[in-house]
Amino acid sequence: MCLSQHFSTYLVQGLANGFLYALIALGYTLVYGVLQLINFAHSEVFMAGGFGGVLVANHVTHGQPHGFMSVLIVVAGLLGGGIVGAATAFVLERVAYRPLRRRNAPKLAYLISAIGASFFLQTMAGKEFGRNGYDIAPAYTNGTVFTIFGAQVQTIDLVFAGAGIAMMLLLDRIVAKTRLGQGIRAVAQDADTAGLMGVNIDRVIAVTFILGGLLGGAAGYLFGTLNGVSYTMGTVPGIKAFTAAVLGGIGNIRGAVLGGLLLGVVESLAISCINTDWTDVISFIVLVLVLLVRPTGLLGERLGRSA
Amino acid sequence: MRTGRSLRLVAPLALAAIAATACGSSSSGGSGNGGGSGSGSEPTFTIAYQGPLSGGNQQLGLNMSYAVKLAINQANAGTTFGTLPFKLAFAQEDDQGSSTAAPAAVAKILQISNLIAVVGPAFSGATAASEPAYSKADVATVSPSATDPTLATSGWHNFFRVVADDDAQGPADAQYMAKTAGLKKVYVIDDASTYGAGLAKAFVGAASGDGLTVVKHDTAPGTTQCQAGSGNVQQYGPLAQKVKQSGADSVFYAGYYCDFALLAKQLRSAGFTGQLVSDDGSNDPHYVSSAGASVANGTLLSCACQETITSPGFKAFAPQFKSLAGFASGTYSAEAYDATNAIIDAMKSLGANPTKAGVISALHSPGFSYQGISKTVKFAANGNYAGSAVYMYKVENGTIKELGLIGASS
Repeated sequence: MCLSQHFSTYLVQGLANGFLYALIALGYTLVYGVLQLINFAHSEVFMAGGFGGVLVANHVTHGQPHGFMSVLIVVAGLLGGGIVGAATAFVLERVAYRPLRRRNAPKLAYLISAIGASFFLQTMAGKEFGRNGYDIAPAYTNGTVFTIFGAQVQTIDLVFAGAGIAMMLLLDRIVAKTRLGQGIRAVAQDADTAGLMGVNIDRVIAVTFILGGLLGGAAGYLFGTLNGVSYTMGTVPGIKAFTAAVLGGIGNIRGAVLGGLLLGVVESLAISCINTDWTDVISFIVLVLVLLVRPTGLLGERLGRSA
Repeated sequence: MRTGRSLRLVAPLALAAIAATACGSSSSGGSGNGGGSGSGSEPTFTIAYQGPLSGGNQQLGLNMSYAVKLAINQANAGTTFGTLPFKLAFAQEDDQGSSTAAPAAVAKILQISNLIAVVGPAFSGATAASEPAYSKADVATVSPSATDPTLATSGWHNFFRVVADDDAQGPADAQYMAKTAGLKKVYVIDDASTYGAGLAKAFVGAASGDGLTVVKHDTAPGTTQCQAGSGNVQQYGPLAQKVKQSGADSVFYAGYYCDFALLAKQLRSAGFTGQLVSDDGSNDPHYVSSAGASVANGTLLSCACQETITSPGFKAFAPQFKSLAGFASGTYSAEAYDATNAIIDAMKSLGANPTKAGVISALHSPGFSYQGISKTVKFAANGNYAGSAVYMYKVENGTIKELGLIGASS
């Protein structure tokens, strides 16, 4: 009963959530691609982006914007969130990871460093911005834009999808076509050889963190327009996005997108069928089943190859 | 706090939180005891407050902690109890309203050498985790707000509360929704907290008897976003669709304001037009400010607390609270004030050298009765407030208005 009835409505909800997961998942996957390391502090990059989005969007929003002004504000918010997220990720790499890399620290040390950085960023944000949440001034009047198979698609769903697709396409092209992307792919494939071939590994890694931070920060803004922003907002979306990245094949850009969308849809459909508190159980069962069949995720690990 | 004010320009919404943080970090140790310098010989006793002083539900904690502090300041100044043979000091510990952080807060409070009693813990889960240690140490705890029914039946001789428990609130809400508001089908959602689950259970248990059909009882864990659990905010979008399609004409949410505001926004955005009803955990102006007045208007909020604007005591209390705290008193401020004064009244009856165990027996004594600003404080043998009352409130034009008494039980 639950799946057949209003299936499309839950699909739309799930896809909107999924685009958010996908944007964050890209940050995990990019960093994993070049460093074979899970940047567990990425959830705080997302949170920092949320606050960046608040500062910019609430500064430029006056009254109830509409039309072209709304588009401008959304772009400003995405940029604000993206830039703050990128700056946070850049500093994170410099402070928490590069010193360890210089000393050839074992992978476990990175993990501890990431968890520590995550606590630090979260506590600092709580101290600086207060423990109560913030709201982002609405950039547009939300409403039903069109109805498809009985599902009402709202403005906010389109903004999530539009911003998500645009940024993912851009990233995909950057990694596939540009010199920078070539460097990222080279380091992902074989860092030592890439270094010998004249690729500046430090620079490539820094740029990778910045790209991941841009997307994660922009996702923080999008998330904030829906749910508001708080210093603890990163924890669960971070875990979910990491899950999505693994589901799609960690290190694989298109896999992260696919994993994010799939996770969003599975969760949404799960809520339609059973009690809400069982959602995570369902989504992790799906994850385990996928990994049993395809241990490297849906699309496998392959940032090294041309994406 | 004054320095916090300048931050208003940068981020208006942060003001309350930042100002509060600034106060919170500087106020422990108490400003009220004045050093006891007058005669010098009186002993000093500490009344500690335990509740959420950080996290998404911080505001409820602050509503209470300033009221405790005010009561102590006034007792020391001799305005409420005349000249007392002892001085009082104030201390506070942050348990984040959570059962995991509570034991550490308890341990810190129990280290206070001249501790006499505790106002709190504020939340039910935290109370359940705290009472074993307090009970062992013979420390009376008077909670202004913990409403889980089982707290009174766990055999803690030191447990008291000045609010009605959820066994009173849940059924009263169900009765009101069916009989007064004329609602037929309700979708019940709890936040998986000790408080929310208990309240929802009491509500569901009573609903059918009142002719209110429970379409579904769902559990949506409080979110990390709100520091209220481990839940995922993204759950509220699909959940709102599910509520809309269930055909319910109303939603009863058992939980706290931060998550309720997120859910309410999603419900309205999904096109759900039914009646929203919640409880004392949501009965806070922050619910209206985060959900937005257009979403919050019309919401019914119950509380085992009374907006005691009419009591003369409250009229004197409100401005004094505001001048001390810097913000207007809110949910559970009056109860915390009464809880503190009840403790002081019990101490007074014990003379110059009250003991912790003495306070417990004084509060338990059948003759104990203290005329507070929210109610006359009396306790049943199990520590429950004797004689309970539940009030209904409604959000109108962005403010929470009292509708009146909806249920009373003994």
